[in-house]
Amino acid sequence: MRTAYRVLALAIAALVVIQAAVIGYGMFAQLNWIDHGGTLDKSALESSAPGAAAFLLHGLNGGIALLLSLALLIISFFAKIAQGVRWAVIVLIATVVQVALGMLSHTLTAVGALHWAVALVLFGVAVGAATHARKLAPVKERVPTDVA
Amino acid sequence: MPRSSTRLRLIVAILAAVAVLAPLAWLWQSSLVGKSYSVMGMGYLDYGGGPVAEHDHGSTARSVADLKVEDSRKADVRVDLVAEQQNLNIGGRSVPGYTLNGTSPGPTITARPGQLVEVHLRNASVKAGIAMHWHGYDVPAAMDGVAGVTQDEVPVGGEFTYRFVADQIGTYWYHSHQVSHEQVIGGLFGSLVVLPKTGHSDGVDVVAAAHTYSGMKTINGVAGDLKVPAKPGQQVRLRVINTDNGPIESWADMPFRVLAIDGYAVNGPTDVTDHSVTITAGGRVDLGVRMPTDGRAVRVQVSKGTAVILGTGDPAVPPQPAAAVDFLSYGSQTALPFDPAKANRRFDYSIGRRPGFVRGVPGLWWSINGHLYPHVPMYVVRDGDIVIMHIDNHSGQVHPMHLHGHHAVVLARNGVAATGSPWWIDSLNVLDGESYDIAFVATNPGIWLDHCHHLKHAEQGMVAHLMYEGITTPYRIGGTAGNQPE
Repeated sequence: MRTAYRVLALAIAALVVIQAAVIGYGMFAQLNWIDHGGTLDKSALESSAPGAAAFLLHGLNGGIALLLSLALLIISFFAKIAQGVRWAVIVLIATVVQVALGMLSHTLTAVGALHWAVALVLFGVAVGAATHARKLAPVKERVPTDVA
Repeated sequence: MPRSSTRLRLIVAILAAVAVLAPLAWLWQSSLVGKSYSVMGMGYLDYGGGPVAEHDHGSTARSVADLKVEDSRKADVRVDLVAEQQNLNIGGRSVPGYTLNGTSPGPTITARPGQLVEVHLRNASVKAGIAMHWHGYDVPAAMDGVAGVTQDEVPVGGEFTYRFVADQIGTYWYHSHQVSHEQVIGGLFGSLVVLPKTGHSDGVDVVAAAHTYSGMKTINGVAGDLKVPAKPGQQVRLRVINTDNGPIESWADMPFRVLAIDGYAVNGPTDVTDHSVTITAGGRVDLGVRMPTDGRAVRVQVSKGTAVILGTGDPAVPPQPAAAVDFLSYGSQTALPFDPAKANRRFDYSIGRRPGFVRGVPGLWWSINGHLYPHVPMYVVRDGDIVIMHIDNHSGQVHPMHLHGHHAVVLARNGVAATGSPWWIDSLNVLDGESYDIAFVATNPGIWLDHCHHLKHAEQGMVAHLMYEGITTPYRIGGTAGNQPE
């Protein structure tokens, strides 16, 4: 359980890195497309223009991050990691906020800046949860010696 | 004690896990639609405050399959369409796609008012099957071409004959409504033009169907500008059709007029200067240009990427105007053929976006009135009803809303009443944060899709239906026929 907890936490952190990479690629693919005379509008974006797939993938990954965070929470109930549930809840809240900001940024574009900043926070707490799970050993029950 | 404490801890952990998982499992389960289902049984009935009818699946109900032009009537315009799945050559690149009679787009079908159009469709090689929808044309329900709702998809080797009377003049188009999110963008479409009885007075009449194939912008299937001969002083009617999934802007390097929107003539159009025209996905505008008498050419941009050049020459690309013409106040007012104040059904079509499950798949999905597909409203009307629909969009993205089988008039946007020419639409660009009140008269019995014409959004569940009392459909989505309308 402890390993599963750590793997899930690290997977969430890795997803944040992938999300940044995907968006970086998408942006430059589109700049390159425009440089070569391509037109970028909603129609082009929805018709396999370079970079369009990256944005689609970014949206899908957001959903996966949310599922992984939920799985982390459930694992935390069984993992017997001191404060493991608390860390999992923090990761879940950060993920929910991040996904919500991503959705809201379509309407309030300035919120997009926060979306980037919260990505760093999410990365930090996910790595924090994984590190925490490694550091602290479970509380072992002492077997009374006089029984024997 | 330690053992019981461990047990207690495990029980708490299990209960906590169940508390998290049970609602998710319930949501997942309720999003499943089964291998085959009828749109009649989908979602919930919404009577819009009108009379509630018995939901009639029984013997007294009429089938959509029977709602057609009488078979004995002879056709005036006959067209054969053969659909194939093959690579297309777009701007020197080979891209996967579809053709009708060997080309994409397919042939432009032209008719005159009162003529009976008969289109014989044959599927030569489109593996997923096809069906042909007459976008913006208020055909009888059996001819609407929606696989799983008004017919079964046409498999490879199969045929279907569409028959309808060309009773509305204007610019329309046709496209597949089977796996439409792939087939339309892949090129399975064409234009439909119904000319006035006597033709437009003088001049040039040209169709410009804008389409983006694999990211490449084209007009009438050709990358680059469309060159149209036109003489000085001549009147040009340019029928721009947006066959893509997103809105496009059109503008020119001289004043022009918007003669028609979605096939319907604008009353008292005025010159447009320093403004563009928004053409929503699936929408059409007829632009009127009077050629300059000094012989210079005119450039009409169809988005930034392509243009129609009228006359001889190569004018520079005019900068894109900052604002678009507001159709809410364009042209002059005139009486409507019905009184929206007498509406007896009022529906809400509220578009949002939220996490959840659609067909068992988790994700961020489009919602209609707060519900996810298939728990969407079935708007129920009776023949002759006057209907008002309030559409609002708080989903973060633009949605081109398309009602089959009817034309609606825009009454208001964001609560501000329309003051221009009656703005008739079958495809409406609803931006994030906007709301529209539209009205129509229910005079075309059937079962009609009311969906987002960003066809990927439709595939993601942004589809509701308008159903007439006493009408039923024998067709099913999924199942052995493989109907997959979106």
